[in-house]
Amino acid sequence: MSAYLARPVRRALLLTSLPVYVLLYAPLTLIAIFSFAPAPGATQPGWHWYADLLHAPDVLAAFRRSLTLAFGSSILGTILGTLMGFGLSRFRSRARSGFAAALPSLIIYTPIIMPSLVFGISELIFFNLMHKATGLFAAGLLTMGIAHVTFQAPYVALVVFARMSGLDPNLFEASHDLYADGRQSFLHLTIPVIRPAIIGGFLLAFTLSIDDFTISYFTAGPGSTTLPIYIYSAIARKGISPDINALATLMIASVIGIGLLQYAFNRQKERRPMPRTGD
Amino acid sequence: MSAIAEHPAAKGSAERTERAARAWRLWITAGPGLFWIILFLILPSLILLGIGFFSIGNYGNPHLPLTLEPFREVAGYSILGWSPGNIEVILRSLVQAISAAGLTILLAYPVVFFIVAQPPALRPLLLLFVILPSWTNQVVRTYAWMELLGPDSALSHLAQAAGFIPAHLGLMPGILAMQIGLTYNYLPYMVVPLYAAAEKLDWSLVEAGRDLYASGARLFWSAVFPQTIPGLLSGIILVAIPAFGDYVVPTLLGGGKSMMIGALIASQFLQTPNWPYGAALTIFMLIFTCGGLIVFRVMSRRLGSSEGSMI
Amino acid sequence: MSQPAVLTPAPVAAPAPSGGIRGAIALQGVSRVFGGGIVAVDRIDLDIRPGEFFTLLGPSGCGKTTLLRMIAGFETPDSGRILISGREMQTVPAHKRAVNTVFQSYALFPHLNVADNIGFGLRMRGVAKAERRARTEQIMGLLQIDAFATRNPAQLSGGQRQRVALARALVNEPEVVLLDEPLSALDAKLRAELQVELMRMQKRLGMTFIFVTHDQHEALVMSDRIAVMERGRMLQVGPVLDVYEQPRSVFVAEFLGLSNIWTFTARPGNIAETPIGPVTVTAPLGSATTAMIRPEKIWLHPEAAAPSDRPNLFPGTIREAIYMGASTQYNVELRGGAVILALDTNNQAAERSWRPGEKIVLELKPDNIMLIDP
Repeated sequence: MSAYLARPVRRALLLTSLPVYVLLYAPLTLIAIFSFAPAPGATQPGWHWYADLLHAPDVLAAFRRSLTLAFGSSILGTILGTLMGFGLSRFRSRARSGFAAALPSLIIYTPIIMPSLVFGISELIFFNLMHKATGLFAAGLLTMGIAHVTFQAPYVALVVFARMSGLDPNLFEASHDLYADGRQSFLHLTIPVIRPAIIGGFLLAFTLSIDDFTISYFTAGPGSTTLPIYIYSAIARKGISPDINALATLMIASVIGIGLLQYAFNRQKERRPMPRTGD
Repeated sequence: MSAIAEHPAAKGSAERTERAARAWRLWITAGPGLFWIILFLILPSLILLGIGFFSIGNYGNPHLPLTLEPFREVAGYSILGWSPGNIEVILRSLVQAISAAGLTILLAYPVVFFIVAQPPALRPLLLLFVILPSWTNQVVRTYAWMELLGPDSALSHLAQAAGFIPAHLGLMPGILAMQIGLTYNYLPYMVVPLYAAAEKLDWSLVEAGRDLYASGARLFWSAVFPQTIPGLLSGIILVAIPAFGDYVVPTLLGGGKSMMIGALIASQFLQTPNWPYGAALTIFMLIFTCGGLIVFRVMSRRLGSSEGSMI
Repeated sequence: MSQPAVLTPAPVAAPAPSGGIRGAIALQGVSRVFGGGIVAVDRIDLDIRPGEFFTLLGPSGCGKTTLLRMIAGFETPDSGRILISGREMQTVPAHKRAVNTVFQSYALFPHLNVADNIGFGLRMRGVAKAERRARTEQIMGLLQIDAFATRNPAQLSGGQRQRVALARALVNEPEVVLLDEPLSALDAKLRAELQVELMRMQKRLGMTFIFVTHDQHEALVMSDRIAVMERGRMLQVGPVLDVYEQPRSVFVAEFLGLSNIWTFTARPGNIAETPIGPVTVTAPLGSATTAMIRPEKIWLHPEAAAPSDRPNLFPGTIREAIYMGASTQYNVELRGGAVILALDTNNQAAERSWRPGEKIVLELKPDNIMLIDP
């Protein structure tokens, strides 16, 4: 297919694309470079700011909170999302059309379509009013967790739904035909077959949570700072500064590292055809 | 088919029992999740929209009676009379969103076709490199441009020397910085759908067109570009709509003088609280967003693309 | 390598009424109505004998698959009773019936290898691992799929998957095996091979097979008895030979094989006045209004050597000759303009068979003319 493109065209594409790639990575590289800036009063560039990070309790606490929040919300988000994706794929009435049938889909898509700002502000006022009325739902990790679950579940549902759609619908009948009741079918057929989707959904939920800023920002309370919020506050307070550079570089490096690892892992998996065995 | 009237058990009762059983199973599996979303998102956002019709209390919180006052504020009326500030904000947000979409289109097309022209083994890796930056945190990405465009940066010095900006200021904060930030943040969201469309391109049409069109440019516009339109439309939606309501970029790169609607809304809830006004602004923003989505659906249906999904 | 043993030493039951015999199916007034008033199955009564290969034949939408699904337990009838081995089962859920299904799409579990797919039913019933293994190996040997035991279904061809699906059903030694157009996804040659194999397997194991198909040829080859269905009703049930040679309705006559069908008015002397002319019939005309003769029953004589002293001689010209290898189909135009379909075995050298344009004389022997009541 590249035969369809003449050499001068290919060269032109290369010349126009290369700047875009450079553009994509230049800012990130710059941050990395500046993160090695010399310590105050010194002249030699070095790891000073990174060393500082290791001793900064706020940073470590924010990191831990991000992980806890992501992990906790992902578990609940995956459970709710898996059940939604499974249920909507298996039990939705095919015959019916119209509003009632489309309602579950509309509900599931709302968190995905809604702009994060509106999402965050809605949660803010909701929890605020709830707190005033009941004393519960004080802004903090709990409210953040609830908000995270709310945007995670639909994504997980989509992943599970997609996997279910690729299945032969007779599979479930086959399972019943072979003496498995509802519970056994779920355990021995459904779960093993959608397991890759559940895992994929969990990872997706985890990523969404760790990365989120806007929604977390609006639902956070004092003392529930996550890593993105920490960075934002630091920027708002100090503007550009080398310690932020160091933290940012670490975040960038880990994302790129994980991305490349995952890519390599997928390539490996594709190469090996594995005959799966049951028990 | 036999007439149903002559049938003894013609009520179709088995069908109804089966349907009821299926409905029950649907509610028991998908119910909890759906209920969660309704309780924790749909309800709150309805409350938010409702607040737009309340009067403003002492600390910015809403109370009765219902009124349209917040919407007058949106239109620009305040105690001091009318000012065009809000209209400017809305227009600025629209312009930023649309031009961000435009810039990403200009940048995405060469990259997409560059990747598509490579051997299939190389393409996933090249695509990954485009997407990876978007996996970094939004705040970090925007911060990077703060670094690049701040008053002490090389680019700013260049602009100062060329007379674009006053001597001690930087490109950031400013309208240009916002535009750059938005384009940078959302470029991958244009590349992915465009690439998806380009990968499925029917090159035989191009081959056939080669006989008809003399110049390469005509060939591109007539045989290649139309096939990418579904991806292009998806990309425009994925860029323009989030860019319109973005919060982080305008706040960090825009500064107080070039506000966008996202920052304006947020300040009504985080800084000087004025909930009804903020809610009314949100309603406006949602109207624009929904309007954009509707235009998109009409256009994509007109141009014949259809996406399969859960709906 | 395990010996290819017979799994179920079930007796091939002599024709006897069902009830109490393992593998017998009785349907009494079974109906199924879908939302919108569509009657899929219309008050069906049927007796299927243990150990027979019974085929439900009919066009798409005739209700044969719905009927099969009700026997399997995937759907409940709106009225009527379903008795399996003499016991009322229409309210019993599918997983409690000793009935196993081979699906059109095979429905093999993608997360299990072949051996585990086959052993799934045994596992669900709590059969011990050792016995599961033994029975799985036995059935795999019988169906010649032992080589694939650890393979994933995605790695198998269509024919191999079909065998796995069959093994998965048979290993449970069910009372009845249901097959829902299991061969329709295969190419013609493989289909023909598997038709014969299935037939032999069934005879060997002695299990009741209920086979659903829309392919009349398949039905003819494999079945002991067939039921022709149309729009939810059972038009005719009987041994294949009877249904083919003596169809009791125009639909059955046309659905099962080729036919020449004419309406007629009765004339004295047991003669049917048809559009092609008067036709002498052996069977008494009675109240019949339609006559039918199968194309292969028509004798063709060269014009020059035609007999003259026999009934039902019709001179005509060959309009079209469709060569089918072992036989040739001829469209013959008679003097009055009517066209008859005739089938002749190619038992002469090629130069001696009929060509278009040749004049011949058709003989319709009165014994071969079948009468159909309105």
